[in-house]
Amino acid sequence: MSYGRELIATRELLLNLTMREVKGQYRRTALGQLWSIINPLATMVVYTLVFSLLLRSEPPPGDPSGLDVYALWLMCGLLPWTYFTRVVNGGVASITSNAGLIKKVYFPRMHLPLSITLSTAITFGVELGVLTIALWVFGGFPLPWLPLVMIAVVILAMFATGLAMMLAILNVHFRDTQHFVSILLPMWMFLTPIIYPFSLVEAAAERTGAWVLTVFELNPMLHIVQVFRTLLYDNALPGQLDWLAAILAASVVFSLGYLVFSRNERRLAELL
Amino acid sequence: MSEVTARGTAGTAIVVDGVSKKFRLFHERNQTLKSAIMRGRRIVADDFWAVRDVSFEVPQGQTFGLIGRNGSGKSTLLKTLARIYQPDEGRVVMSGRVSSMLEVGSGFHPELSGRENIFLNGSILGLTRKQVTARFDEIVDFSGVEAFIDQPVKNYSSGMYVRLGFAVAVHTEPDILIVDEILSVGDGAFREKSRKKFAEFTGQGRTVILVSHSLAQIRDMCQQVAWLHAGRLRAIGATEDVVEAYEASIEAEST
Repeated sequence: MSYGRELIATRELLLNLTMREVKGQYRRTALGQLWSIINPLATMVVYTLVFSLLLRSEPPPGDPSGLDVYALWLMCGLLPWTYFTRVVNGGVASITSNAGLIKKVYFPRMHLPLSITLSTAITFGVELGVLTIALWVFGGFPLPWLPLVMIAVVILAMFATGLAMMLAILNVHFRDTQHFVSILLPMWMFLTPIIYPFSLVEAAAERTGAWVLTVFELNPMLHIVQVFRTLLYDNALPGQLDWLAAILAASVVFSLGYLVFSRNERRLAELL
Repeated sequence: MSEVTARGTAGTAIVVDGVSKKFRLFHERNQTLKSAIMRGRRIVADDFWAVRDVSFEVPQGQTFGLIGRNGSGKSTLLKTLARIYQPDEGRVVMSGRVSSMLEVGSGFHPELSGRENIFLNGSILGLTRKQVTARFDEIVDFSGVEAFIDQPVKNYSSGMYVRLGFAVAVHTEPDILIVDEILSVGDGAFREKSRKKFAEFTGQGRTVILVSHSLAQIRDMCQQVAWLHAGRLRAIGATEDVVEAYEASIEAEST
């Protein structure tokens, strides 16, 4: 039986592992699922204070939405990024933290990182729902764009999962990986125009040379974040280049991750 | 792997054909990037053959035992049969659906209730939600934890925990069940219930393959036994013959 067919045949396990993550996460907390909203809200307050009030980061108003609220603009990029880091961090550790299970039962191991992707997608969905309402309250019209946002979520999920699967295998060989990843991700965030507008990068490129722009544009997350932001904040169709770069990066990274993981998964039990 | 089941006919359930499994023994059990780079390309691992060229067949509807000293390769072989390890040489052919009980309650989430964990564990062992629902009452009844079924399992006593895990595993109703050293679970009454369940199992044409250090248990349950020594097959045959030879070798060594 091919690996893909085995995955499909055991899809109920994926569902149950996902529910295990969802239900287990906020057990014994008074606020429960609310935590998944409080978390990004707190980040939003701090970033807005520092970057809008103190450092005076001024992103251009939404075109054609007319929105001009830094906090909302920030969240349109920060929420996808937060989802990305949750999938990568969770996925990387998903194999090593389930070592007991892997050594005792056979099942397609890919369900472990995939269950992280799905369970965090539920949180992401709730966050996007709240953001949509906020955007609408402040005068945007995000609703018609939601179907395209869904496609963007799938692209982001594939990109993040592909990366998580590759790193999860690497983490079994070298436990340094997860520590390395937790340093790398914040650095990556600051190199992606999430808390500052892309116009700052363009301005820097004008001063120092066009290579700055090229380097930034090589970052797939820049395009993915741009897609989200254009859809949600500007209420416009993202540029073809952003779509193309996002889809290309997601397909390549996911295929690579799938290949690396399925080739190595049979040996995981003895490596752990 | 063959998915075809011919239950009821006296066919062969398991074919183990020249199976070997090696492990790499690292002199420096230091899995960090730094040590990998420092090592460079020098090979600092030795191959250790935990199972070496083992072949046997298990007929359908039998309880088949594996015996041997600690470190003889029983558990490695069992894990190879359970698809947890992949053999480095040879092949394993299983006819029908395989379920393994190498550790009861693996995959239980401590914060989830007994009820939720039955569904979770059932699906880890390869059951669909429908199948678990159909067997749910039977599982709860068998485990004897009805009163606590909606409590998080972290509050269970170790006996309850193990009994619930065991109950889920025996109710997966596989064609081949692989069991490692877990029949000593629970009190006398529960053990008796488990023994009956296993007898019922093989009566239905299912095959059980088990590892145990309790020779009394092996004598009681198995029709055939394989004796592993240092990764190789030392003897195989009717339970009484093999167990006697094994006991004799232990005695010879201890005097």
